[in-house]
Amino acid sequence: MRRLARWLNHFEDGLIVLILLMMIGLAVYQIVLRNVFSSSLVWVEPLLQNAVLWIGLLGAMIASRRDEHIRIDLINTWLKPEARRWLAMVVDLFTCAVCAVVAWHSMLFLFEEMRQGGNAFPGVPSWMLQAMIPVGFSVISVRYLIMFFLDLLHLRPPMQEPHA
Amino acid sequence: MIWIAVLALLLLALCGAPLFAIILGAAAIGFLTMDTPLAVLHITIYQLTDSVVLMALPLFTFAGFLLSEAKTADRMMRLSQAAFGWLPGGMALVALVACAFFTALTGGSGVTIVALGALLLPALAKAGYQEKFNLGLMTSSGSLGLLLVPSVPLLVYGIIAQQMSQQLDMPTVEITDLYLAGLVPALLMIVALYLWCLWAMRKQPVPKQAFSFAELRGALWDARWELPLPVVVLGGIFSGVLVISEAAAVTALYVLVAEVLLYRDIPLRKLPRIMRESMVMVGGILLILAVALAFSDYLVFAGVPETLFAFIQTHVESKLAFLLLLNLVLLALGALLDIFAALVIMVPLILPVALGYGIDPVHLGIIFVANMQIGYITPPVGMNLFIASYRFHKPITELFRATIPFMLVLLVVLALITYIPELSLFLVR
Repeated sequence: MRRLARWLNHFEDGLIVLILLMMIGLAVYQIVLRNVFSSSLVWVEPLLQNAVLWIGLLGAMIASRRDEHIRIDLINTWLKPEARRWLAMVVDLFTCAVCAVVAWHSMLFLFEEMRQGGNAFPGVPSWMLQAMIPVGFSVISVRYLIMFFLDLLHLRPPMQEPHA
Repeated sequence: MIWIAVLALLLLALCGAPLFAIILGAAAIGFLTMDTPLAVLHITIYQLTDSVVLMALPLFTFAGFLLSEAKTADRMMRLSQAAFGWLPGGMALVALVACAFFTALTGGSGVTIVALGALLLPALAKAGYQEKFNLGLMTSSGSLGLLLVPSVPLLVYGIIAQQMSQQLDMPTVEITDLYLAGLVPALLMIVALYLWCLWAMRKQPVPKQAFSFAELRGALWDARWELPLPVVVLGGIFSGVLVISEAAAVTALYVLVAEVLLYRDIPLRKLPRIMRESMVMVGGILLILAVALAFSDYLVFAGVPETLFAFIQTHVESKLAFLLLLNLVLLALGALLDIFAALVIMVPLILPVALGYGIDPVHLGIIFVANMQIGYITPPVGMNLFIASYRFHKPITELFRATIPFMLVLLVVLALITYIPELSLFLVR
């Protein structure tokens, strides 16, 4: 179980770095193609636009590992640690539930898309690119569920403030 | 029933639930009350891929992270000191200019205070400025430059406005226009703060530094790989050769080559970590942006902006009164909320109302970000105050007192920016 989690972490880290590098490379390549050879590749634009979604969701998945999402934190500073723990459990469950709802409905939509959807660009069916949405929200949901249990067992690492 | 749900969401938000989950919950409840199948959530989130400029967000952010990890702050500081240090109030101007450019490039106000504060605070003290003055200057300069190219908050505003323009009757909002419109207001803020510094220092004049041509040449040489960067960004964008997303890609590649290969400030093995960290921040922003698009779709479907406009119009008659109200609300929000959260939540609500009062969407963007910038230093909860308190090991109350004069100066500029739209728009329309 723990090995699986660590493997997933490395996979996410690797993938996000790879996509970012690909994004920079392809975008610059496209500029060179257009300005020097006055041609362009049709599939680059949609691929890059989808890459943004992938990067966003992967980043959000990684941020969920340590609960680093943007939030308003007003009440917590005034609370005692014990109350804070209970509150955190409620919040974790809520986040987990919301993400699960999105993941579920998104998956249903995806099955529909798989059956009748077209291609995003030649050779790549559009459901493949959209699949990141249910995957991302499922992972975030599971991570918040784990956080809930860690809290329940007094094992949760301290909260992280997102840094600007 | 619906009110209980709304109340529960508000309560959860105050309890520190991630904002994306709150907005998502609100959108889901909204769509459910309209009997819309929740697959709409998937579809609206996937709208993120419709935007052709959004790619600029991860790329500019990555470039900014690289710059803040490298020794860019030192070089920028040396260069502006060599260029402006000999002027009256020179070090103060150095601080303002260096902070503004650094914030524009790195996008985060916290980064500026942490990276440049460590260099500027001792330099200011050495030049003979008083500590209280220095603390106020650094804290308020930390968010200076949010209106300058290639500021990410302006970009986010533009993306939301473009998304909404598909459903509303409004003039287009080009990102380039936003950047052009931000130039004069940003310069105005720098000049006003500089004049205030000169005025505040009139009783204890600080000895001027001698101008050294050799030092300027040395500083220029030191910054030789970074100097072309503004030319690449500005030239690329404003000449029309590159669209915003392409300019961002070129910037990212350029900074990568400059900092890793030419300056060798960042060892190759640290690069994956920096990439990951920058993308985690991007993920946080993109996620709330995506769910906010879903939420704003619901709002428009449900006709909330019209209702809100009708409601506000019965209480607020003139455009001027509306702008004043807008400033107050945004200042409070800027102090309470993260800048991106405030943007994605408030723009979908405010933009249609502002259009109703005849406010140009480009001008609104400038007002919005300018307010957020001042919100960062608004006591008692502005984020810069906390970052500065933490960074400089000073009690927060001391920072309140030190920062308030600077905040008042910025408020005067804000009033000018808000009530004279031409300041922002004369380059655009």
